[in-house]
Amino acid sequence: MGFLITTLIFLVVGIIASLCVRICFSRGPSTNLLHLTLVITATICCWMMWAIVYIAQMNPLIVPILSETE
Amino acid sequence: MGESRGGGCCPPMDLMRSETMQLVQLIVPMESAHLTVSYLGDLGLVQFKDLNSEKSPFQRTYAAQIKRCGEMARKIRFFKDQMSKAEVLPKELLEKESDIDLDDVEVKLGELEAELVEINANNDKLQRSYNELMEYKLVLQKAGEFFSSAHRSATAQQREIESEDSQQAGDDLLESPLLQEKSVDSSKQVKLGFLTGLVPREKSMVFERILFRATRGNIFIRQTVIEEPVIDPSSGEKAEKNVFIVFYSGERAKSKILKICEAFGANRYPFSEDLGKQAQMITEVSGRLSELKTTIDAGLGHRNVLLQTIGDKFELWNLKVRKEKAIYHTLNMLSLDVTKKCLVAEGWSPVFASNEIQDALQRAAVDSNSQVGSIFQVLRTKESPPTYFRTNKFTSAIQEIVDAYGVAKYQEANPGVFTIVTFPFLFAVMFGDWGHGICILLATMYLILREKKLASQKLGDIMEMAFGGRYVILMMSLFSIYTGLIYNEFFSIPYPLFAPSAYDCRDASCSEATTIGLIKVRDTYPFGLDPVWHGTRSELPFLNSLKMKMSILLGVSQMNLGIIMSYFNARFFKSSVNIWFQFIPQMIFLNSLFGYLSVLIIIKWCTGSQADLYHVMIYMFLSPTDELGENQLFPHQKTVQLVLLFLALVSVPCMLLPKPFILKKQHEARHQGQSYAPLDETDESLHVETTGGSHGHEEFEFSEIFVHQLIHTIEFVLGAVSNTASYLRLWALSLAHSELSSVFYEKVLLLAWGYNNVFILIIGILVFIFATVGVLLVMETLSAFLHALRLHWVEFQNKFYEGDGYKFAPFTFIFTANEDE
Repeated sequence: MGFLITTLIFLVVGIIASLCVRICFSRGPSTNLLHLTLVITATICCWMMWAIVYIAQMNPLIVPILSETE
Repeated sequence: MGESRGGGCCPPMDLMRSETMQLVQLIVPMESAHLTVSYLGDLGLVQFKDLNSEKSPFQRTYAAQIKRCGEMARKIRFFKDQMSKAEVLPKELLEKESDIDLDDVEVKLGELEAELVEINANNDKLQRSYNELMEYKLVLQKAGEFFSSAHRSATAQQREIESEDSQQAGDDLLESPLLQEKSVDSSKQVKLGFLTGLVPREKSMVFERILFRATRGNIFIRQTVIEEPVIDPSSGEKAEKNVFIVFYSGERAKSKILKICEAFGANRYPFSEDLGKQAQMITEVSGRLSELKTTIDAGLGHRNVLLQTIGDKFELWNLKVRKEKAIYHTLNMLSLDVTKKCLVAEGWSPVFASNEIQDALQRAAVDSNSQVGSIFQVLRTKESPPTYFRTNKFTSAIQEIVDAYGVAKYQEANPGVFTIVTFPFLFAVMFGDWGHGICILLATMYLILREKKLASQKLGDIMEMAFGGRYVILMMSLFSIYTGLIYNEFFSIPYPLFAPSAYDCRDASCSEATTIGLIKVRDTYPFGLDPVWHGTRSELPFLNSLKMKMSILLGVSQMNLGIIMSYFNARFFKSSVNIWFQFIPQMIFLNSLFGYLSVLIIIKWCTGSQADLYHVMIYMFLSPTDELGENQLFPHQKTVQLVLLFLALVSVPCMLLPKPFILKKQHEARHQGQSYAPLDETDESLHVETTGGSHGHEEFEFSEIFVHQLIHTIEFVLGAVSNTASYLRLWALSLAHSELSSVFYEKVLLLAWGYNNVFILIIGILVFIFATVGVLLVMETLSAFLHALRLHWVEFQNKFYEGDGYKFAPFTFIFTANEDE
């Protein structure tokens, strides 16, 4: 559940970022496409990293064992 | 007709492929040639081809002009030298200085140089006389002292003897005739000659010894030390010297002494015994010294004024001379037409610049009052054009990084597009600490905010590189802050920023926390790594497993992106053989093995199964038909694995065999109707040859193509394993970073805190800061930068990048600061 919600949040942030870039830096169609590509790549990279770390912790096989000195 | 380069498959994207370039030919009348080249240089969008490459530099048309410019450049260098010696700074060049004529500059430079050389020579002469007189003055003083002290002791002795004499009046006259003789014969002195001068201190002992030996001990020498160093007239440098005075008898001794003085570089000065004359000499010398000083000062003042006037115009002249030299070099590259009335230029230029170029030609023709305009036409050629990317200050750094590996072939996909994001991202995966990220962000914000000022300054080598890459470092720091939040490390301290930790004790007493451990009681920690892990005993096994799997997943994604880029290249160049027999087998091979591994990783994480993935992958190859038992992650896994294995094995010969045969068939089909070479069309009135013309019959060696394909296939197959493993460096470096960071925190800062002493705490903080900046912020940054670069250059780019093009180098007047020819 938490996974889907946060994925949706990433999606929304990505869309907002693309729109912002399109509004603030609009400079012709080929340049806009470049900006869009960069924003999408960045969003996907960030999402992938978050998703990997999240999924890895969903069903852990190792649990934290505290060290002796507290 | 056979020139249709690809294109039109997907909407065009900036920076993805090189700008379309065309080979243009310019026919320029002689009188407007110079101005044309000048305006084209201002435009900076034409790369001229050298049409006179067989000619030596002396055979070219404008060799004399270049020699002229070389002379002027030499004079300018001389002026710069003199100015820096006198510490005069040249005036900064304003934007719009009026245009000056080259001949005027030449004349002026000649005049000024002659004047400056003369002033310098005079100054040197005067300075030398001044130094000699200074030495003479010292000699006069010291030798005078010597004589006066000797005279004093002699008169003292004389008085003693006389008093003695008067005591022992009668007897002694008889008993000590020598003394008498001495006192009587005071007027009849032995004729001793003497020489005075200065000798360098380090040679003084040797000097004395050699004099002694050469004259068989028949000399008397006295030396006095001069306290301050003296400026030697011949060398112009300060040296430690001694004043010496040598008494000798006889002409032979004198000549020997003279020769030895010359050999030792000891300067001699005349000295008279007479006390009155000595005083006179001293006053005379002092007078001349002050005269000379005023003259020298006046001379220096005059020179400085001259240098100031030079300094005012220096930058202007410098720029003008360099521009002219560049223009003449370019003019030398143009070929002279048969009628000797116009010059022909060939060059590469981007298609979008055609209008601007024609505009420049127009203006040049008008400005030079020529009766004919210049002609601009596009040539068709099979040569490969240079690669040109239009970059701004943000993308130019990344493009340079990509070009350092190899300049893109004309119109192939530019990895720089994705590198702008993935390079800082992979750096951040290895660097992940949001505290360190903030430090780097502050440093690079300083560079960016002071951009204008720092751009005009001359920075050192290292600062130059850091300044050039400031936008890349900015991206790196932003991504590092993000991955730092995910790894939950702030100078290695974790914080529960987004929610409380998901783990808690099994029971109220927490007795088993250090033996069996905590359990997961709440939802997964929503953003990043759970903060409880730091400092636990099972931290490393968990983190290692997580980071290794993450590296594999990220690596497989990037490699897939690389292969997809090769698909775009194949589509652009309309090479369907590349799509069917390179792209598809490569995708199938990589994904049926390592894509499958990635899927297994995700399934294992989602289901929490205890399957051993090493075992699964290895036995997929060794014994694919065995039962999986407890390593089963999803139903029908065995069948799926068999299918994937089969696909992978089939795709290898698919990569290897069909392509060479198909290429051979294509080649034969293309050259079937080409037994007759077509006639060259000459529809222009001027007979113009295109240099570097068509190849004619292309060569096709089947064995070469086959071996090439074999190598490519082997490289890909073996590379699939090695490249995937290479991505594990993402894990290794991130582990190193977090361990170093945690060591510095625990063993320096916490240790210092534990002593409860302010002094030790301050020292501890200082050590912590220096260690963090030196090791983590500088060394780790460079290290992660290097490894992220390697991952891009090798693992990402060898999937699709050829990189054997050459860069577009237009003729332009933007000189770098240290371009001195």
